[in-house]
Amino acid sequence: MKDQWTDRLSQYLDGELAAPERTTLEAHLASCDVCRTTLEELRRVVTNARALDDRPPAADLWPAVAARIGLSPREQARPVVRRFSFTVPQLAAASVVLALLSAAAAWLIVRRGTVPTAPVAVAERAPVLLNASAYPGDARFDAQVADLERALARGRGRLDTATVRVIERNLRIIDRAIRGAQSALAADPANSYLNLHLAQEMRRKLELLRQAATLAGARS
Amino acid sequence: MVLTTPGVATLRRDPDQRALRDAETADAALAASGDGRAFERLYRTHVARVHSLVRRMVGPDHADDIAQDVFVRAWNKLATFRGDAAFGTWLHRLAVNVILARRTTLGTERGRYDDSADVLDDVAGRPAAPEWSMDFEEAIGRLPDGARQVFVLHDIEGYRHDEIADMLGIVPGTSKSQLHHARMALRRHLDR
Repeated sequence: MKDQWTDRLSQYLDGELAAPERTTLEAHLASCDVCRTTLEELRRVVTNARALDDRPPAADLWPAVAARIGLSPREQARPVVRRFSFTVPQLAAASVVLALLSAAAAWLIVRRGTVPTAPVAVAERAPVLLNASAYPGDARFDAQVADLERALARGRGRLDTATVRVIERNLRIIDRAIRGAQSALAADPANSYLNLHLAQEMRRKLELLRQAATLAGARS
Repeated sequence: MVLTTPGVATLRRDPDQRALRDAETADAALAASGDGRAFERLYRTHVARVHSLVRRMVGPDHADDIAQDVFVRAWNKLATFRGDAAFGTWLHRLAVNVILARRTTLGTERGRYDDSADVLDDVAGRPAAPEWSMDFEEAIGRLPDGARQVFVLHDIEGYRHDEIADMLGIVPGTSKSQLHHARMALRRHLDR
């Protein structure tokens, strides 16, 4: 059953009626069971709508999306079972754990004098990725670091102090790992493991700086 | 559900929300520079929401295709994302635009643009028999296109009538009227 007020109930529910009309409707509601019931049902419809869960598609659409935007097959084929999201401190902490582990491994190798070499004949040893002189004397790396540090310094005020502390602490740890790798390479410049380790730490530093600078720039 | 951005009911203000938004902004920047993995992370985060929006707006038959279109469009438009709003907000609005651009074609294909009161009454007037056990989502899907789109955009997605009117090319009064008819029709499908 409908009366003259039924079609105004949604607007009443959404707070869209002008004060005089709202007052009149409220007076009507006090005496009309049908409108009160209808209003309550409309309210439940809205509540249900807001409580609906989002469901993913039955089939993973990513391979098709990746193909359409021209991503490499390697990126398409990578199985992703679950989406993990990390905060910057979490990512930074993970990088520190990796840095410490690899630095510790380098230290142990050098200390024991059992530095691994590439499993090939000396004459065919894999090319050195970087050597000790590449850091900090690598002009390109230095320039990238300097650029990112300037960008980070400009946006530093936009970052939480806690985030800044974590980033700076982790940069110090990565720098220590880099210096450790350099020291080890000074004794064994051709060691491929140490070269790889140094390269990884340099990349890690660039990545952390890049991410921090992006965050600092994004908080406008 | 807490509305924190006009028109989009996606963000809740909790301690992790800011960090999540920062991480997504960073991923969007990486993706804009061609980082496919960063874009995949964004896809994984938002695909359920985008797909659900598409499914509710146009039905399940074309949902996969249109959801793909949304992410392809997002990839191509990443350079226009400035980080002023959350990435989810930006993506959501882009998704609505893609859906609305497709709806005319789909509506013509299906011949479903019948928003007359009779159709709405038909949805509302079905008997509550045991075999009539469609859930609330299914009932939304059976609404005529106009009423369904207004209902989804307003009551599920949190857009205002003036925004909906602008998107759908109707006047706000029509949006309000469609919303009321949709709600009235859906009353029959509430859990008892």
